[in-house]
Amino acid sequence: MFCYQCEQTYRSDEGAGCAGAKGMCGKDAATADLQDILLYVCEGVGQYLHRARQLGATDIEADRFILFAFFTTLTNVNFNAAKFVELIHQASQIRDRAKALYENAARAAAKIPQTVLGPAAFVPASNMAGLSAQASEAAVRKDAAILGEDAVGARALILYGLKGVCAYAHHARVLGEERDAIYATVEHALDMLAREERDVATLLDEALALGRANFLAMEALDAANTGAFGSPTPTSVRVTPIKGKAILVSGHDLKDLHAILEATKDKGVNVYTHGEMLPAHSYPKLKAYPHLAGNYGGAWQDQQKEFAEFPGPIVMTSNCLIEPQPRYRGRIFTAGPVGWAGVRHIADENFAVVAQAAQALPGFTEDAPEKTITIGFGRDTVLGVADKVIDAVKSGAIRHFFLVGGCDGAAPGRNYYSDFADEAPEDTVILTLGCGKYRFNKHDFGTIGGLPRLLDMGQCNDAYSALVVATKLAEAFGVGVNELPLSLIVSWFEQKAAAVLLTLLALGVRNVRIGPTLPAFLTPALVDVLVEKFGVQPLGDAKSDIAASLARAA
Amino acid sequence: MYKVSLLTRDGATIAFDAEPSDTLLDAAERASIYLPSSCREGGCGACRVARASGEVELMSYSSAALSEDERMAGDILLCRARARGDLALRAPFDEAAVGSAPVPERRATLVALEPAGSGAVRLQLQYEDDPTFGSAAQFAAGQFVELTLPDGSAKRSYSLANAPNWDGTLELFIRLQPHGAFSNYLRDRAAVGDTLLVRGPQGQFTLDEASPAPRWFVVGGTGLAPALSMLRQIGEFADQRPCRLFFGVNKVDELFALDVIDELQAALPLVVTLCVWKPEQDWRGFVGTPVAALAQALSSATERPDIYVCGPPALIAATEETARSCGVPHDRIFSEKFTAA
Repeated sequence: MFCYQCEQTYRSDEGAGCAGAKGMCGKDAATADLQDILLYVCEGVGQYLHRARQLGATDIEADRFILFAFFTTLTNVNFNAAKFVELIHQASQIRDRAKALYENAARAAAKIPQTVLGPAAFVPASNMAGLSAQASEAAVRKDAAILGEDAVGARALILYGLKGVCAYAHHARVLGEERDAIYATVEHALDMLAREERDVATLLDEALALGRANFLAMEALDAANTGAFGSPTPTSVRVTPIKGKAILVSGHDLKDLHAILEATKDKGVNVYTHGEMLPAHSYPKLKAYPHLAGNYGGAWQDQQKEFAEFPGPIVMTSNCLIEPQPRYRGRIFTAGPVGWAGVRHIADENFAVVAQAAQALPGFTEDAPEKTITIGFGRDTVLGVADKVIDAVKSGAIRHFFLVGGCDGAAPGRNYYSDFADEAPEDTVILTLGCGKYRFNKHDFGTIGGLPRLLDMGQCNDAYSALVVATKLAEAFGVGVNELPLSLIVSWFEQKAAAVLLTLLALGVRNVRIGPTLPAFLTPALVDVLVEKFGVQPLGDAKSDIAASLARAA
Repeated sequence: MYKVSLLTRDGATIAFDAEPSDTLLDAAERASIYLPSSCREGGCGACRVARASGEVELMSYSSAALSEDERMAGDILLCRARARGDLALRAPFDEAAVGSAPVPERRATLVALEPAGSGAVRLQLQYEDDPTFGSAAQFAAGQFVELTLPDGSAKRSYSLANAPNWDGTLELFIRLQPHGAFSNYLRDRAAVGDTLLVRGPQGQFTLDEASPAPRWFVVGGTGLAPALSMLRQIGEFADQRPCRLFFGVNKVDELFALDVIDELQAALPLVVTLCVWKPEQDWRGFVGTPVAALAQALSSATERPDIYVCGPPALIAATEETARSCGVPHDRIFSEKFTAA
């Protein structure tokens, strides 16, 4: 195996990348190799779909499969080798269908179909042993000696950004929102990866195109979530348990949470959110369920301790799963793209068995002292008080906005983000989204003119909301986003964050601070391009970075 | 005090200290590490591990639990071994099989008792609701429980045949032994409504979930029970990798649970070979032992399977020898010995 797609990748003097029997995320070598092969076969699907689309023919089911397949390969999503064998064979069949679609479209247009090589011609072995032997043909760095390190890094940026786009687009799709332009871009990117493009400038252009597609995906996801469940509103959420039977729902998928709330309605079971599911409490149609009782625990990397102590079933609806420990392995369920060998999976959105499990398990035996936090500052809420915000900025009551957002992780350097939030001057407002906020969202930041200084805008999936707010404020002030008194301090961990970074770059947002480390797949030359062209900055120390941000704004 | 390091099948390292006077099992439990075990007297082999380095003193044990070949290869029984230096051990089970709390003891009601072929019974128990554990039947498919008779006069361990569930149901197939204390109870006194003490789940004979290899089960008699549990779980997880079951008995009328096997065949890519050693009727199935059937199948297999074998010690030994001679690595053969009691 070789994998360097996420922030926790193994780093040493020899270089970066997980290459042993098991990656830092817990993914074993067999699963990592199978994921590479799945993506390679999907490139073959993309080769045909891209050509068919140019002739006016599309296959939306194949596009949907690509979204799902890519989503399964994000860090901390699916670790089940057997599932990947199944997906590879499914992808192979879909590729045959895409090939027929293209060839028929070509003939209908009186053209001779091209013979498509590369991933389109790759024949996956029928069993695990054969697939393992083929892994080197699909490895992410297989042609490094031919393409050069910078091209390999830029291709990795596309591949991993593409994973993020697919994850967001899949989230939106399950709630009925799809954009054909996203599918066209995904197919184009797959075709480019398949033809082994090595020109770095061309590859970076493709990465920015993905960033634009990701903006569409995030917009679709926002429309999906708010369309289904209403716009988030400020909401006080209990963060301590209450006596009774209990279910814990983690991940990002609001549709699954809704299905769980329906399955447990009037059954005397309390539903708790975990990690990135916290913002669910701010959606009117979700918080209308009285048994959506509160939020339990912190960010994803704490789940092994928190899940072990939770006295009921746990459902992981999407990323970020880490190895289920013995103490709760029998009572954790996965759903959607998530999977772990030997863990119950719910593929049909029927969560009745989870409700049954909750009733069979002890639940909380007593109330904990009540504590609450306030969330729900999505774009509609913030823009609803835009006049107050603008006045506060003009009067000097608000000197600066810091968006301190993104993923959390276990790396020690991540206390930077809590230090940053705590050190931010009292005349500044902190916007936050993603699970990095668990490092500081129970701190008391006070208010400015009745407006909370800490505004929780939602999941990492809600980055669109922050972009809309920034764009509208820029319009109101008659400036560009880069001229606003706004600094972005982004914490990245996995591939959704890579996609969001590409979106920020594609939209021309400059001076984004990113950390705690830079992606291992970016070579020094690629980092130089990002620094020079987009002002991307690695993190320093919190105090200095705050001072630099305020100085630049002044 | 010696340092003991145990490497599990899935790569986790479990460390504890051992006094020279402690068995390794007791030393681990002193550190709140509950390793798989059953009889704790060297009779069952449930706590067998491999010794990678270091010296131990082995107290008396049954050769059914640890054969001379196994001992020569470095295997030891945790319940009979005392450290005589720092130790490095390798376990044939995953970290998930290691408990951090004592084995649960719960009460269950006998809700069904019926014949299962000639000479065995099917037992169904229902857990009572419990403030600590609730009412669910949580275990890993393939594990066993220890049952105590209602009057407390005898304890026996039996494998579970059903998959973990939220109904609190336990299903067991038990061979009736002549003059066996538990068998006498089942034959003469057991009645629906009886309450039994259940100590479990226990045991490390569970699926290696991370392995993508095909799964082959070789079982004799009521050794079918843990295989049924695993296959039911595989079915519940909709796992589509190929499985084979070689189920052997001495006589045709000893076959049981054929309805369950039919259901599993309908739901899974499962090939079943029913093996009868001495068929006295018109028998169209395989004549011979499940080991003989395994040897035939392995000779034409295109992929090395993981092999799960459960039954009497002789069946285990024969299966291991046959599988190894056909190229199945030692660490891809998982076994559970049934001993008469």
